[in-house]
Amino acid sequence: MILFINFLTIQTSAAIISFIAGAIVVLVVIYLFYSSSPAEDKVSAKHKVYKMRARYFFALVFCVIAGLIITLGFLPYPQFQSRPDETVSVVGMQWAWKFAPGISDKTPLQMEGGSEITLPSNKLIKFLVTSSDVNHDFAIYNTNGVLVAQTQAMPDYQNALEYKFPEPGDYHILCLEYCGIAHAIMVGTIHVK
Amino acid sequence: MLQISPVEIKRQRKLVIIWSITFMVVFPLLIILGLLMRLNQGEDINLGADTFYTLMTLHGLGMAGLLFTFSFAGLWYLVGTRQAKLNISVGYFVYTLVLIGVIGLAIATLIGKFGPGWYMLYPLPFIGVNWPAWSTGLAIVSLIIMGVAWLSGIIHLVSAMSKEFGGFSNLMGWQYLRKRKEGERDLPPIVMITTISLVPGLCAFLIGAAMLFMYLMQLLEPALHFNPLLMKNMVMFFGHTLVNITLYCCVGWVYALLPEYTGREWKTDKVLVYSWNATFIFILFAYFHHLYMDFAQPSAFQYIGQIVSYSSAIPATAITMFGVISQIYHSKIKWGVIPVCFLIGVAGWAIGGFSAVVDSTIAVNSVLHNTLWVPAHFHTYMLGGVVLFILGLIFYLSHTKEEQEKDKTAKFGFWLFVISIHCFIGMFYSGGLNSIPRRYADYKGIPIVSVHHTGALLAEIAALFIILLLIGLFIMYFAIIIKLSKQKNASLIKSV
Ligand code: HEM
Ligand SMILES: [Cu+2]
Repeated sequence: MILFINFLTIQTSAAIISFIAGAIVVLVVIYLFYSSSPAEDKVSAKHKVYKMRARYFFALVFCVIAGLIITLGFLPYPQFQSRPDETVSVVGMQWAWKFAPGISDKTPLQMEGGSEITLPSNKLIKFLVTSSDVNHDFAIYNTNGVLVAQTQAMPDYQNALEYKFPEPGDYHILCLEYCGIAHAIMVGTIHVK
Repeated sequence: MLQISPVEIKRQRKLVIIWSITFMVVFPLLIILGLLMRLNQGEDINLGADTFYTLMTLHGLGMAGLLFTFSFAGLWYLVGTRQAKLNISVGYFVYTLVLIGVIGLAIATLIGKFGPGWYMLYPLPFIGVNWPAWSTGLAIVSLIIMGVAWLSGIIHLVSAMSKEFGGFSNLMGWQYLRKRKEGERDLPPIVMITTISLVPGLCAFLIGAAMLFMYLMQLLEPALHFNPLLMKNMVMFFGHTLVNITLYCCVGWVYALLPEYTGREWKTDKVLVYSWNATFIFILFAYFHHLYMDFAQPSAFQYIGQIVSYSSAIPATAITMFGVISQIYHSKIKWGVIPVCFLIGVAGWAIGGFSAVVDSTIAVNSVLHNTLWVPAHFHTYMLGGVVLFILGLIFYLSHTKEEQEKDKTAKFGFWLFVISIHCFIGMFYSGGLNSIPRRYADYKGIPIVSVHHTGALLAEIAALFIILLLIGLFIMYFAIIIKLSKQKNASLIKSV
């Protein structure tokens, strides 16, 4: 799985698997258009389809269980990961990001910080994310412009997101929860050294 | 056995035709809002962010409301003409209130500039907004009015069926799980599916109403403060359930109408009862997948969200979709436009459902949440599923069985529409895979050049397909209106 992720982004894997599923649906529809013409009495046709359905059912149950076991091992929630090397406090506000190193002891409104910060690569960083007004969403885009991790920034709550920047460069933060008129220009930058 | 008089059937038919015409007028108007949004994102026009979000809000609330109401109206018609006696004045009451609600919403958004998105995520409508408080108030009151309409419609429909079939547990199909009594009346699948869709709908509207009253209190008393995580759970439960049951209501029609074209009965049995009762649970608990990125949500809910979302694929595909296959396979069906609408609609549901399951994987949701993948999947089963079922039902009202087999215009319009909607939606999928955020008025402010340019390009291509799909839609309208006006003339002559 890890190996797999190194070659393919999650997005690419989702694309491939969804494309295959879509193609199967299209093929089934085409088959149904052509298979409808020879008349067969209802009982024997039903019998054939039901035999197939039984096989499909067991295959699907197997896939669902296997899919759950595999994917539920990769949760973004901090309790499943190791100790962070650095902590950064993040506040979303209408319409900017504030970053401050360490654990902030101020209220989100009072916390001071800029929309840029410099962080080391290959270190586990823990972002403590909250908001001082409405809901926002702290989303990290890597140097190729690929979304790699996110968590909601909800007022009254603090969400801890852990991420290890694999390589130096400028990572961008976009807001992914609609937060008012300037939502689309609420950006931040993380310089990774 | 129940007897529904021809006069009663005629009355119900008139009501559903009024609904159909309303749908046919409002639907393209809401599509044009979508076109304007895509053109703005493609940087072909410049609406300004405030107008964009106003249109987005009206489009989202309008479409979800329109499709739910029509799917309800379709069930109402099919149940009211075949299964149980319904009070037509309740039907008109629902229609009138929904219309008032829609007008209120249109004023609140188009004139009042109300624009917090369909879900108006608390506390957004109250903090840092650029529209006046009256438009928030009007929008909330309009939604409450629509909620009252739907609640009363649902309660009437379910209680009328319950009277007819001897109690609520019979509507759920539980009599099939014990030994059935001699001569006991069969339960048509549409009745069971109606119940299993509308009862969660009832819960959703009650929660939604509670939420709207909290909003109203907040509006009147700004010092109040509610828990934002609780509010998000409420709005997502409401929205998810509403959209989910819209689809299942339409699936109910497919069970009722497809057999008319394949010549094979589609009856309730034990397997169907188990699978739809399981669906009942899934409808209620799948909404947790909207809160995966709220790490503060109890993790048990996150697990439940993914397990339930995955499991809901089992009854949907193994029972309903295989049911469609066993209806069609070697049935010598003639592919008129109505069964084609249903088959392609089920296929759209399958594709949209699959991409929903992909996104309901927590590990995947980390990178697809609130990207264009999300509108991609729900447009697939709303536009590629529900809307096709609705068109199928409207054709069912306008065309006889022979007419719909021969109508080349309708078929041409249909295929142009279907191919264009999937290409239009394909741009959403592609946007999601390229990490393009959803709900961005435009992509100019994104500091990553590739994301900005890909987003704008995909939006422009999508706009082209929207124009094509509108053409396809109007060709179908043309075919429908010709047949409907002929019927009208015919019935006028008869009544003279
Ligand atoms: C051809 C028809 C349609 C077009 C062109 C269209 C277009 C769009 C566009 C461009 C967006 C904004 C996407 C974004 O950037 O976030 C959107 C959002 C949305 N659409 Fe559609 N759409 C169509 C049909 C439908 C249908 C049938 C439904 C039924 C439920 C629907 C429900 C929604 C909802 C709920 C939203 C989200 C609004 C929000 O984020 O608050 N749309 N649509
Ligand atoms: Cu924001």
